[in-house]
Amino acid sequence: MSTEDPKEKFRKNESGKRLTSIIMNDYLTLHQRASQGAFVVWIAIIVPAEIFAGFENVVYGVPESHAALCAGKGAGPLLCGKAEGHGYSTDLCSYARIDIGTAFDGGKDSPTFGLPKPDLLISNNNNCSLLVKWFDVYHRVWGVPHLVLDIPFCYEDQTSNDFRYIMDQFGHLIRTVESLSGQRFDIEKAREAVQNSSEALAEWKRFTDFARHRPSGITAFDSFVQMAPILTSRGTRQLAEHYRLLAEETGEQVRAGVFPVPDERYRLLWDNIAPWHQLRKMSSRLAGLGANITCASYTYCIGALEGRYDPYEFDGTDPLAWLARLQNFSVCPHGLNLRGKAMREVIERNAIDGVVFASNRSCKVYSLMQMDQMRRIREDLGIPCVMIDVDHADVRKYSEETAFTRLEALLEMIDARRAQA
Amino acid sequence: MIPTEGPALRAARLRPLAAPARAPHWEMDMQGFLDTVRDLKEQGRRVAGCFPLYPPLELLHSFGLTPVMLWGLNDDLQGFSRSDRHLQPYACQVARALVEFVLEHGPGLFDALLMYNACDTLRNLPEIIASGLDGSSSRLPVLRLHVPALPLDQAGAAGYLRGRVRSLAAELEDLTGRPFSGESFARSIDLYRRQRALCMEVEGLLSAGSLPLAPGMGLLMGSNRIPVEDHIPLLEAFVNEGRQAPAHGAGRPGVLISGILPPPEPLLDAIDKAGLRVAANDIAALKRFYSFTPETTPDPERYYEDFYRGHHPCTTILPSADGRLQFLREVVQETGVGGVIFFGEKFCEYEYFEFPYLEGMLKELGVRSLLLEMSAEGLQNLDGYRTRIEAFAETLA
Repeated sequence: MSTEDPKEKFRKNESGKRLTSIIMNDYLTLHQRASQGAFVVWIAIIVPAEIFAGFENVVYGVPESHAALCAGKGAGPLLCGKAEGHGYSTDLCSYARIDIGTAFDGGKDSPTFGLPKPDLLISNNNNCSLLVKWFDVYHRVWGVPHLVLDIPFCYEDQTSNDFRYIMDQFGHLIRTVESLSGQRFDIEKAREAVQNSSEALAEWKRFTDFARHRPSGITAFDSFVQMAPILTSRGTRQLAEHYRLLAEETGEQVRAGVFPVPDERYRLLWDNIAPWHQLRKMSSRLAGLGANITCASYTYCIGALEGRYDPYEFDGTDPLAWLARLQNFSVCPHGLNLRGKAMREVIERNAIDGVVFASNRSCKVYSLMQMDQMRRIREDLGIPCVMIDVDHADVRKYSEETAFTRLEALLEMIDARRAQA
Repeated sequence: MIPTEGPALRAARLRPLAAPARAPHWEMDMQGFLDTVRDLKEQGRRVAGCFPLYPPLELLHSFGLTPVMLWGLNDDLQGFSRSDRHLQPYACQVARALVEFVLEHGPGLFDALLMYNACDTLRNLPEIIASGLDGSSSRLPVLRLHVPALPLDQAGAAGYLRGRVRSLAAELEDLTGRPFSGESFARSIDLYRRQRALCMEVEGLLSAGSLPLAPGMGLLMGSNRIPVEDHIPLLEAFVNEGRQAPAHGAGRPGVLISGILPPPEPLLDAIDKAGLRVAANDIAALKRFYSFTPETTPDPERYYEDFYRGHHPCTTILPSADGRLQFLREVVQETGVGGVIFFGEKFCEYEYFEFPYLEGMLKELGVRSLLLEMSAEGLQNLDGYRTRIEAFAETLA
């Protein structure tokens, strides 16, 4: 009989190693191509990066993703502090502070040496409008043009008027890149990128679906880590292939009886952005209590339409139409009812015992509905819920002990509910 | 010397000036506001509570609704106990006060709420408020508008806005049971134009030191709360009073004040007492709110396209961000102010992202700046703010 710890076995899967290599390679390639004269765009995470694949030599960097990486590597407070030294308030989003701190110090102390300087900034306002203000900082200081995508917030499904408006803006975006870069857009290349993304997202759902298994085949923390290339490798064959292998390897582990929390007694759902500085600590400590945050609204929404879980697949026709329809694939552009609809589906699907609402000071748009959502979930479904205070990238605003006092209370509530049943 | 209040100013603070039968309460505090709206309701008026910052007031008014703005309410609220059940304390006090006020008083007071996508926090509120009022006996319809965050000459933005205005007008027809009237809309525009022009004139008198600052600012805030037809005679009375009063501003160092809401009255008094003169303002609820009215037209789609295209620059009107820098440069140079006081609304990312750049820009222009962070908790102790204003005044003397 093997004496190997199943948790160790779980960690040794190939997907983790491949992920590290993809991310390293993405940043290296970005810097390299930029230094060789590629046209560099900085984008907000929901900006449809597949469009850039339609150009011969356009590369993109994602400041939010870079900030999350810095936070995960422990550089958050140092880089936030640099932005604060330039006068940026500690109340501002910690992603923005990390990014500004990095950019104004030439990439020093960033694990990726920052991002190459942009030729164009493209933000949008459906994930959050502060991205526009954040990118305006660079627009002013460096004199770089800044294009905004205005994506109407969804209290219900995207309307046909909203869809047409977004399509108009994509046309403008393409013309702007053509004009500034001197390159022509090729829709066939963009179609290929969209096909790759659609496949990748379907595989992503296959991966996140392993949270349905008892015990869960994954933790939400795995999904937090594994989502990174969706932001840095969008539209590539590599991304689709990585998620296909990730889903296969996870399936093999499940079949082999290898689980991240083998003695899983509590199946939890996480609502908000990942606490990047706490991934390992929080998951290990929870695992020690027999608790697994099996899924997260932040990652289960990826690839789906508003309020839904299943992926929205590309039908091979108009790639821009697919991108426009999927412009709300994260939680933040959704109203309370839509968020609740998806959450209820996942709670039922994954047999969730309790929900952790992570009230995130750095993301008001995600957080300022949670008190009502929590009340609804608790009252309508009878599911125990708890709210903890976090900041997604600034560890200085997080207290582990305070958070765990509440998390342990949640587990006690789940026990009490079971005892009553 | 600080000018004292004339009779019109005193009256404006305490009693009706214009149509007493219709508007017997003119205090600028929350109770006065409540009493005013209740009186309007008793007279059969239908009142629409509007979320900040720049909603289509003229359109609401043309349907016979009385629009009032739901901000600047926090001074008199007794805490945020209702709001705190729905919003974390890191929401700005504008949002917390709005939710508190609507949950406590909204049903029965308002016939509808109107909001647009002015900021991330505000866009989250309609469903939160609906959730908070769930179970309440009164239905409170919420009308919504999306104002493009793009320059309106770009990528279908103007057409999209026109479509949204059209839909809003149709919703208002359903709500009020009245068909849209271009004639009525044009009349409403003219009323608001008159009100805004008078506000600008009052500003000029305040900057010259012909009127006392705090009550003058209170009156200007009335443009948010007092029905337009009742506010106009008040403003006219002030203007008449101010025109006859001597200007006391000469020789006092001029400052520009900037922020979302004007500072509370004690801090305006502190500015006065520190020997400073407010030569200009860049307050969202004041100058940014009333400094621009497009040409009158019976066509609301065209009007609001012009309205948002030409709007005074504001941190929340995203395409106007660069215009704001230009505006501040110009106003600083034209007025010759030596300092800018930013009354920063705590947790307002729109404002706070801009401060570092503005501070640097002002420094290059030889203008000093002071940032005072305004929060619900901080306002409970104003002495710290007073001290900083006094110290700032000394640097400008």
